[in-house]
Amino acid sequence: MTGFLAITLLLAAPLLLAAAGELLLERAGSIQIGLEGTMLIGAFTAFAAARSGAGPHAALLAAAFAGLLAGAAFAAFAVAGRADPILVGTAWNLVAAGGTAFSYRLLAGATGSVLEVRTLPPLAFGLPAAVLAAFFVPVAVEVFLARTRPGLALVAAGENPLALAATGGSVVAVRTAASVAAGALGALGGALLVLTVSPTFVEGVTAGRGFLALALVVFARWKPLRLVPGALLVAGATALQYRLQAGGSRIPYAVFLALPGLLALFALAATRGRGGAPKALGTPAP
Amino acid sequence: MSRESAARRFAVAAAALSAAAAALVGLALLAGTSPFDAVRALAEGAAGSRAALGETLARATALVLTAVGASLAFRAGVLNIGLEGQFLAGAVAAAAVGPLLAGSPLAARAGLLAAAALAGALWVVPAAYLEARRGVPEVLSTILLNLVAAAAVSGLVRGALQDPGGDYPQSRALPDAVRLAPLAAGSRVTAAILIALALALFATLLLEWTPFGLKLRATGLAPAAARAIGLPHARLRFLAFAASGALAGLAGGLEVLAVTGRLYDPFTAGAGYTGIAAALLGGSHPLAAALSAVLFAALGAGSSAMQRDTGVPGALATIVPGVLVLAVLAARARLARKAA
Amino acid sequence: MSIAAGRLAADSGEILRGGSPVSYRNAKDARHAGLVLVPQHDLLIGAASVADNLAFLDPAAPFFESAESRRARVGRLAQAFGLELGAADARADALPVGTRQRIEIAGALAGDPDVLILDEPTAVLSPDETAALFASLRKRADAGAAVVLITHRLAEVFAGSDRLTLLARGRSVKTCRVSETTPQEIGGLLVASAEGAERPGPTTSDVPARARQFSNEPLPSLALTGFAPNVASAVRTERVSLSLSPGELLVLLAIDGNGADTIARAIAGLERFSGRVEVGGVPLPPSGDPLAFRAAGGAFVPADRREEGLVAALSLSENLALPNPPGSVFLDRAAMRAHAEERLSAFGIRYASPAALAGSLSGGNQQKAVLARELAHRPGVLVAVHPTRGLDLASAAAVRSRILDACRSGTAALVVTADPDEAQLFGAPLRVVTRGRLSAVLEPATPAATLGRLMAGLEG
Repeated sequence: MTGFLAITLLLAAPLLLAAAGELLLERAGSIQIGLEGTMLIGAFTAFAAARSGAGPHAALLAAAFAGLLAGAAFAAFAVAGRADPILVGTAWNLVAAGGTAFSYRLLAGATGSVLEVRTLPPLAFGLPAAVLAAFFVPVAVEVFLARTRPGLALVAAGENPLALAATGGSVVAVRTAASVAAGALGALGGALLVLTVSPTFVEGVTAGRGFLALALVVFARWKPLRLVPGALLVAGATALQYRLQAGGSRIPYAVFLALPGLLALFALAATRGRGGAPKALGTPAP
Repeated sequence: MSRESAARRFAVAAAALSAAAAALVGLALLAGTSPFDAVRALAEGAAGSRAALGETLARATALVLTAVGASLAFRAGVLNIGLEGQFLAGAVAAAAVGPLLAGSPLAARAGLLAAAALAGALWVVPAAYLEARRGVPEVLSTILLNLVAAAAVSGLVRGALQDPGGDYPQSRALPDAVRLAPLAAGSRVTAAILIALALALFATLLLEWTPFGLKLRATGLAPAAARAIGLPHARLRFLAFAASGALAGLAGGLEVLAVTGRLYDPFTAGAGYTGIAAALLGGSHPLAAALSAVLFAALGAGSSAMQRDTGVPGALATIVPGVLVLAVLAARARLARKAA
Repeated sequence: MSIAAGRLAADSGEILRGGSPVSYRNAKDARHAGLVLVPQHDLLIGAASVADNLAFLDPAAPFFESAESRRARVGRLAQAFGLELGAADARADALPVGTRQRIEIAGALAGDPDVLILDEPTAVLSPDETAALFASLRKRADAGAAVVLITHRLAEVFAGSDRLTLLARGRSVKTCRVSETTPQEIGGLLVASAEGAERPGPTTSDVPARARQFSNEPLPSLALTGFAPNVASAVRTERVSLSLSPGELLVLLAIDGNGADTIARAIAGLERFSGRVEVGGVPLPPSGDPLAFRAAGGAFVPADRREEGLVAALSLSENLALPNPPGSVFLDRAAMRAHAEERLSAFGIRYASPAALAGSLSGGNQQKAVLARELAHRPGVLVAVHPTRGLDLASAAAVRSRILDACRSGTAALVVTADPDEAQLFGAPLRVVTRGRLSAVLEPATPAATLGRLMAGLEG
């Protein structure tokens, strides 16, 4: 596999995981704009686990677990607590960014040196198993939503929560479960970043990917399979940046940095934003 | 939001304070320090000396403005999460325009700040357009614009705006004559803080005492009713959106003019998001938001001293505002449900 | 019925089933125990297909199910209950209201409940569909299930049911076997039980006189030409042409969901429309602009006073000052207060102080406040949707008389209501709206029974 394609897939995997989790949550009717913070939590947990001797796969599991807890905490505020999820998400980003920076400093001390961790071993095409598996997650989400009973309940929670309640379901329970899953997936996305792309933790290692993942969900019109082309597009832009930079290109650095964000904005404009959004997105549970 | 009973306000404040206290104590213990030492260092760093107070007020300048901007937007029902990017837009304008302005220092400052406010307001336009014509939620587009702005700053300080006098990622410095003199020797605070607080007052007057403010509040409190009653719903929202962007841009301009003298990368230290947190803590009242902003600025000033003296990482200053907001949101939501 | 199905808690008394007391904590338990309630509002997932919706509603659906199995269920249920359910892959929100109702009923029946409660199921069904539904309900009853039908249509009660209980104002008025009574007796009891309500009878309507008084005005206050609202999810409305002169009042009588409130909202600029709407001769933009409607002299009283009528969190004086509060630079609070006090007492609204929050008023007073605001500037046209819904008798009478007062001063009014008694109390011409079609203009003195039949879609 050519270097460019491999790097694109590598960069797309964290985005895909985080976006898939967020898609589940939004289809259920909630929204977590603090996804960036959850990814940071996952990234730091993986880093900390790896530094304390765990192997890369164990670090992934630790991150997933931290993500589960994060998702549960978010749901406590924004679902069961009925606080506005957007506002909770904003505060969440502060707590997570500050919390991971705080913890990193305690872990790493005041030294400025970079602490490396062991990366995930490659399985095929030079890519680790976890990265390859990430591409199957959207498929799993699609099957879950389209073919299973709990999936239908989740769709109902996002489209017509009163109907779910009328047939005896609990909107709070469904949305909380979705949040827990979204937390785990987001954290795994962050963990992948630390265990593959940049084998260390720095403040801001996620570099806005959590926000890009939010845009990907809208761009995919909340349909899981459509997350893949979007993630590849954004990741491709970043891979292009690395390639052209390495090749001594004269195109300003900033264009590449801005490219993912600009691409996401244009994609949103093209797909008319709200079309296909779950009807009850962002509304409190009845 | 405007008519909470005294009992409710007390309950919410109590929740917030206990959460903050718990966070402070917990974080200090995690860092292996006595909470007393940590809080004492924090307090000294924030207000223990003239220099410390100066630092707090210097940091508060930008935060007060972004907090007031966020309040205006939220009161109109506009979820402007892009204050960070609008702040940067203002800073870029100030750094670009500043070194070029000739004439009296006063005129130069006025021109620079006007450019900064305009840049902030303009940075809102793509998001407003996408929302009005394409149905893209402004939460999303403003956040993405933050990313684009940060990238733009990164590029500009290494390219078009770079100070030719060296190879650092920073812009040309503003001429000393244009920059505001510090109010107290040895600190970074300038008259800019007074501008910020004046604007907070102005925003409060606007909301509570003008016809425009009443219409704005109605639009934010009951958008469906506002439309049915015959208020120019879309125009009011856009004006609030643009005003909040202008305030954030002004904050960026003042940061360059009064505090740093030039643009560098990274520039914001979260001024936009922290401003939003201050607004939320203050219930989207401009004055309460401004007060919360000063509090957060104090935390920021104190935390570097605290980190130096006790080893408790300064990131505490980012955690505590987040915890406060979460506590307030949870308490308010809980009380609202009980009342219903 | 909501209490029985576990959705509300009972305050007193008990529910017996098969002789033993039962109480369901929530709807899920009730469903498991074989008791299902099909309420009036939409229970479907709009964005999902018919097949997916029925899988959602079917308690016996498996954890994992293939698309074919889901599609098969649609056919199976359609056949078993004789209901036309539409194509299995069709999106639910693209289907007409009647089909959606049938899908909900099919979903309820799918679980084979032994107690089935249906709340106004035939409100939007055609006579044929109604007959088919009753046939399948009869089959279920014969198989041992108990079916409770909540309806206001006497024809259905007498055509298809075994026993009836008449409820009026929260009380049980009569319980008997259908064979022991007649439609006339029940109809009479229905009318008589409206205690204290003014009886509709021949009214001396002065509306024609008012219209004549203003007939010198060159332009009609409201003119609709080839008008139809353009709302995707609502009932398709036929093109309407009508005009109202100053002082003229027209009542549109319709059961919810038949298109009358959509017509009203589109005129007021809150929905898109096709065709032409002119208020005082000024054409309104078809994309829907409430500001243009108002600028032309329109006033609007929405159905939902809490959501769209008032800003509950603002004070009374602030609400009454909207949309154009007085004051050039600063808000003239003194003028607002004075204006509020004048309006509030002119409309007989009980309030603590003008600074009290609008949300603190009772329903009746809130509605009066909305009217007070809307009528403050002598509008040319008033559009009011369900203006007395949920109000006590005295408030309802007060609201009606305010509207009639406005007509006497020259305002043309279009009132939408779902209550035939109320429609007649206006003493004005009325038109019944069913499935988006307007009937001919009827006299206010038209018998209630005729109105009921028209509203039910049966010919008078």
